Order: sequence, then structure tokens, then C-alpha cells
Amino acid sequence: MSEPIKRLRRPALWTAGAVLLLALPFYLDRFWLQAGLFAMAAAIGAIGLNLLTGATGQLSMGHAFFLAVGAYGYCVLAGDSTATLTGLNLPSWLAAVLAVALAGVAGGLFSPIAGRLQGAYLGIATLALIFIGQHVLFNAHDLTGGFNGRDVPPLSLFGVTFDESELLVAAVPFGSAEKLWYVALLALAGCALFARGVLRGRPGRAMNAIRDHRIAAGVMGVPVARYRAGVFVLSSMYAGLAGVLLALVFQRTVPEYFGMILSLEYLAMIVIGGLGSVAGAVVGAVFVSLLPQLLTRYSDALPLVSAPGTGGVAPGEASRYLYGAAVVAVVLFLPGGLVRPALRRKTTTPGE
Amino acid sequence: MSTGAPTLEVRDLTVRFAGLTALDGIGFTVRPGTVHAVIGPNGAGKSTCFNVLSGVYRATSGSVRFGGEELTGLPAHRIADLGVARTFQNLALPPGATVEDSLMLGRHRLTRTGFVAAGLGLPYAVREEARHRERVREIAAFVGLEDQLARPAGTLPYGQQKLAELARALCMEPKLLLLDEPVAGMTAGERRATAAVVAGVRDSLGISIVLVEHDMGVVMRLADSVTVLDFGRLIADGTPASVQSDPAVVRAYLGEEATS
Repeated sequence: MSEPIKRLRRPALWTAGAVLLLALPFYLDRFWLQAGLFAMAAAIGAIGLNLLTGATGQLSMGHAFFLAVGAYGYCVLAGDSTATLTGLNLPSWLAAVLAVALAGVAGGLFSPIAGRLQGAYLGIATLALIFIGQHVLFNAHDLTGGFNGRDVPPLSLFGVTFDESELLVAAVPFGSAEKLWYVALLALAGCALFARGVLRGRPGRAMNAIRDHRIAAGVMGVPVARYRAGVFVLSSMYAGLAGVLLALVFQRTVPEYFGMILSLEYLAMIVIGGLGSVAGAVVGAVFVSLLPQLLTRYSDALPLVSAPGTGGVAPGEASRYLYGAAVVAVVLFLPGGLVRPALRRKTTTPGE
Repeated sequence: MSTGAPTLEVRDLTVRFAGLTALDGIGFTVRPGTVHAVIGPNGAGKSTCFNVLSGVYRATSGSVRFGGEELTGLPAHRIADLGVARTFQNLALPPGATVEDSLMLGRHRLTRTGFVAAGLGLPYAVREEARHRERVREIAAFVGLEDQLARPAGTLPYGQQKLAELARALCMEPKLLLLDEPVAGMTAGERRATAAVVAGVRDSLGISIVLVEHDMGVVMRLADSVTVLDFGRLIADGTPASVQSDPAVVRAYLGEEATS
């Protein structure tokens, strides 16, 4: 292939991908849009975790806690006050921004610990966040609605409300999923570009240095504790935004969801996709969040997988086995994750 | 680059690890713009000495003064901020990052871009990055690595990896450079090249250098003064020639019987 064509190929692929993603709400049904939204929200959370765990080498089991802070923070800030629930009734866009900030503050409160603990030790400390978080979610009834959770007020931006009120766009009725799709896409693009800038710039080099050789990082002038704390806050804010989006997609938040399994799922995403890169987080998030949906949709056509409640292996269970196996396979055969073999091929060809 | 590096004064430095005395009241002075070698048999405390100077270990007692600053008690990154750079005996280069990015880490203390500026790609962050990449290329050319900048550091031959680590330390624009066995594991040709680079650093950049090295040829050729340690004690201090003929040094290296 000639040089100019090669150089044009990348932007062309990106443009094609962007057009495809922008056009999807016109063609996909609600089920797939929900699945896609779920994947995009998860991708934002996974990018945040990858900044912390993949790029800086700091294990966190507390990601689900910060997702919960974002999701419930949005509900409380934007929700109406009723007899049983507290709500501040703020404009929903402001509530979304403040919920992300709130997750950042929660991360900041934990950051003195996050700055001092290294790698796996931080993982153990952050386990506490999940247990405390779920205890609060189940018991702070007037904020969280307790066991049954609480409804998520719809987002409204620039006069458009992202609820079920249908909006006709080019003869296609746009419900909440269609409208939210563009919000999520925009948020994901912004988050991905921001994280890429961080990783490729001065902070990213310092983070990688802390991961690869902590002592050398300090000797090179990187304030190790301050950087660990800073990345922890940033990662919490990503989780907070993912939480807000998940709440908007589900339209109801329940405490059950924000448990240890969720934290493990996010760790599975970054390991499967590829540690330390934005693309790895996105690919892993899409894989881990679409797999159960795919299995649910096609459970009758797949061997060994049966509809939930009929006695066989339920799709949710099957998907957990599958990505458990995927984690093991990736660790053994693709230490760089799903995105890395492609990268390696690309970097070695010009030299040879 | 750096004009008039301050004097490094080590006084009565003692380091104990749970009963083991790694350094026992040693002291030496590194005059500005000179190469000072610290030598001694294995386990003499040379690396411990480096780890205290660079803030990796805490001193039990004693003082290390660099210019007007007391270094003992400062965290590693604050010592780096004062212009003290070091290399490691075993390589501390991330194998996957390109040489250029590894050297850019050396610019950390001289740059300011934070999370927000880097994430948003603010113009000043872009300009700062470009300016410092320019300087990194100059330093790579100074040590002879300008053609390897785009390669992952892990794919370079061992000698060049050590050179890359030296270049990374130089990228910090240090006033004092601590080199921990810079020519260990190198071929004869690489040794000569590295020794020439180290001499060039002293002569053309005016940086003070503390050198831990086993290769006596390199030490004798480069060092302006030499401190000899044995079992954590200082046994000799002086010019290379006087130290070489010191009976205590000969005993430490060759044993009691070999003095004849």
C-alpha cells in the first residue's frame, strides 16, 4: 500500500466508526441500545479504573463504591423530596456534574490512604469501601430508598428531556435510549480523549514510572504519594460519571448492584481489554458488558444455556463462567490484553 | 546548564538495619565539578551510601549537606528537586516505553503540566512537551543515543540501556550526579564510550559526579578523588594514586597475606 493511503487509513477508520455509532439509534431496537448504553457507561468506569490499576499499578476493589456515589448522588441531587425520600431537586445537568464532583470528593477523602498504600495493599483497604458503601445503601433509607432503591430522575439538557416522551427524528421515534445514546457517546469520547491526554503526557509518564519502578520514580522527582492520591481521585470521578450514566440507563438504582461482583467485573474488563490503555478499557468493557446480553438474547439458540429459572445454566451465570475463562486465557496467552497483539503488529512492521 | 554546583558534604553518616551497621560514621566531601569515586569490596556499603544520598533510605545519624540544604530526612522527590540525579546498578528503565519517553520522565521536575492540562491538551502543555522533547533529543545526542530514541528501551543492548539510564539522569539537568556502577556488564568498547561520556559530563557540563564502580581502570582514569569503604567503615580517602598504594586498601581488596 502506498504511503499517503496508509496515512489516511486511520482517520478514515475513525470517521467510519463514528458515523456508524452515530447512526445506530436509527436502526437498533431498544434492547441493543440499552446494551450499548450499558457498555458505554461501563467503558467510562473502566477507563477510570485503568488509569489507577493499569497505568499506576494501584489495585482498587472499591470501584463499585464510587459508581454508587455517582448513581445515588445524582438521584439525591436531582430527585424530588417526598415523604420518605430526600431530594434536592436541582436541575438534572447540574446534579450530574455535582454527582461526579461528589465521587471525586469521596475519592479525595480516601486518598490519604490511597497515597500511602501500594498495589495489592490498596486493594485490601478498598474492600472496606464496598462493605461500608453497601451497608449505607441498604440502611440510609431517606437517601437511597433502602433495599428497593430509588427512581432516577430523567436528565434534561438544553430543553430536551431524556425520558420516554417520544421525539420524532427523521421519522424514527426517539425514546430515552435513543436520546441518551448521544449523551453517552459524547461523554465516552470526552473521557477517552482526556484519559489519553493524561496517559501520553507528563502525568502518564509519572504514573507508569510509579507502576514500573516506584523507587526510581521518586528519585526522578515524582512525588509518589501525591500522584497516587491524585490518580485515585481522578479514577473516582470517572467511576462517578459511569454511575450517573448507569443510573440514567437503568432508570432505577438498587443497592444490590453495587457490590463486590461489580468491582470484580471492572477489574475483569481492564485485564481482558488490556491494562494501562484507554482502548484496552473500552474493548474490555464492551466485551464484559455485552456478553451477558448476547447470551440472554440468544439463550434458546445456544447449547447448555437455558432461559433464567428453568434449571440449566442461566445466561448471567454462563457469561460469568465465560469471562472468568477469558480472564485466565488473556493472562496466560495475551498478557497485553485483547488490544495489545494488534498494537505489537503495528509497531514492528515498519522496522522489518 | 549548571554553573557552580554546590559542594556535597557527608559527615558521620551511620545507617543501621535492625542491628546490622551498613555504614559506620563515614564522611567525605565532593568538590564542585569533580568526579568522586566510592569504591570497596562487595558489601562495603557503597549502595547504601547512594540510597541515603538519594533519599531512598533514612540515615540513622549523621548529616549530608548539599549547598545549604540538609538532605537526610528529605523524601526522594525533594532531593531530586534540589538537582541530585542518580542511576541504578540494576536497570530501572521500563522495558516497554520508548527511549524518548523514558528520557522525558527525567524532565518531570522541570515541567509543570498536571492532570487537567494534559487531559485537555491545553496549548501551554503542548508547547512545554515540544520544548522538552527538543532538549531530550539534544541530551540523547550528547550520549550517542539519538538514533535509538523511537525504540523501546528494552530492545536495546545492555550497554546502551545503561547509557539510556545515564541520559535520563542527565535530562534532570542535575547539579550532582550519582552513578551506581555505570560500566558494569559492558563490553570493553562500551566501557570506553561510557567513560568518555562521564568525563564529558564533568568537563563540559560542570556537574559533580559521585561514582560507585568496580572497574578500577575506569575509576583511576576518571576520578579526581576516591573514598574507600570496607564493611561500612571509611578506610582511605584521597587521590587515586595515594589510595591505590594505601596498605589498608590493598588489605581490604586482596586480604591480609597479600601485603608483601
